[in-house]
Amino acid sequence: MICRSPKILGRSPVAKTTILLTSVVFFFALVGGATAQKRFSKTYPTGQNAVKFALLNRSGTVVVEGWDRTDINITAELESPAANIVPQNLSGTIVINLVKDNQGRAEVGIVNFLVRVPYYAMVDIETLIGNVNITNVRSGLVRAKITSEGDINLTNIGSSSVAAENTMGDIFFDGDIMEGGTYRFSSTRGTINLHIPFNASFRLTATAPSTRNISLGVFSNGMNIVGNGRRVIGTNGEGSATLSVTNQQGNISFFRR
Amino acid sequence: MNCIECKEGLGPFLDNELDESRASLVRTHLAICGDCALVCEDLSAILFTCGSEDGMELVPPNSQALWCRISNTIESEIKPAPLRQPEPVRGRFWRLSLPQLASAVLGIAILSSLLTVVAIRNYMQPTTADFTTRSAPTQTTFEKVLAKVGLINTPQQARDRRVKEQQAAITYWDNRVQTRRVQWDAYTREAFDRNLQVLNESLDQYTYILQQDPEDDLSVEMLDSVMNDKMNLLRDFSDL
Repeated sequence: MICRSPKILGRSPVAKTTILLTSVVFFFALVGGATAQKRFSKTYPTGQNAVKFALLNRSGTVVVEGWDRTDINITAELESPAANIVPQNLSGTIVINLVKDNQGRAEVGIVNFLVRVPYYAMVDIETLIGNVNITNVRSGLVRAKITSEGDINLTNIGSSSVAAENTMGDIFFDGDIMEGGTYRFSSTRGTINLHIPFNASFRLTATAPSTRNISLGVFSNGMNIVGNGRRVIGTNGEGSATLSVTNQQGNISFFRR
Repeated sequence: MNCIECKEGLGPFLDNELDESRASLVRTHLAICGDCALVCEDLSAILFTCGSEDGMELVPPNSQALWCRISNTIESEIKPAPLRQPEPVRGRFWRLSLPQLASAVLGIAILSSLLTVVAIRNYMQPTTADFTTRSAPTQTTFEKVLAKVGLINTPQQARDRRVKEQQAAITYWDNRVQTRRVQWDAYTREAFDRNLQVLNESLDQYTYILQQDPEDDLSVEMLDSVMNDKMNLLRDFSDL
């Protein structure tokens, strides 16, 4: 025998429909609220002097784009449970440290950043997990470090100091090699592809101990293979800049830009 | 007769041994030459003295006994030499010959130079990057000498020390991670374990290579790098 509520059964069809529709609306509102992303957005005006943006993220994708404006615009999509974001403006350096801001929290959702910086701004990005993409930056420093896994893409970079480091994931670099600059690319397992100008002037130390697969392309002149093929050292052009590439368990390839 | 002939004939003249003619000539010269007359007088006085005194008084009766007495008197006036005591060892230590002294100075100079060089090197260069990623064949002769006398570590010793330090740091951060990872979500735990496994694979690989060939510089360098990466992974995740 099925027991039915006498109150509902006793109401008119219009009332029943209204109650059902209201229930459905509330249900979807609750479900939607549980999975909805929060959004963070803030803009920091900066001067023409040296500007720096430093971010330490826990998990998520970080995209940094250089633009022809003097302010820094930060947009973040925060998945639930939303992380705390407390940017700091320290005399020209915008700092976001999500690890510190959320320390001790059992669960923190992924945070995806889109940051626009003046093209002359120094960029220093660290994240524990997730991809890092940096484009159109021509400053004194571009640094991308992924503690664990994630790809690093550095496109149209013109910086004198570039560092890209991850454990698992690919590293892609497309940019200029500045005179006297320092360029360091390091991965444990992944592929490292470097697109640099043919006339770039650098001293190279490229090491791929496991695969011994170092493809120099048009940059093979003046290079020597040492350590039973595990390392290539040599000079291209005058050898002004220092280029160090290490891939513990993957390949290294050079391409003409 | 001149003075020379006269003086030559004075002795025989006083002894009456000249013939009359020659004695007459001497007398004539003595009469006219004051100097020769004076010499003749002196000589005759000596002859007179010798002839009048008793010869026994002039010559000692027993010259040998006389010399014995003189000798005894002289010996009694001279103090006896003190007995030589054995020299203490300390005094003898500082009595060095010239070659010994030169060798000692040279040794001190070399030792002080070595100590100065070692001190400067330790001051100028951090010890971590020196020998930890180097093998014995890359040592200079100077470094080998310093290592022999124990002033610096050999590459193997430096590497072992470095590995121990890194292992200690890894153990510390690993303990921190173990206490914190229960709070992580599944996604973070899986990502961490995946990456740690990849790093451990590299560690095992380089450890194996170095067991086969301890002098493989490149593997030493890579091992050091991977251990640093592992330490950084543990440290960064221990903050979560």
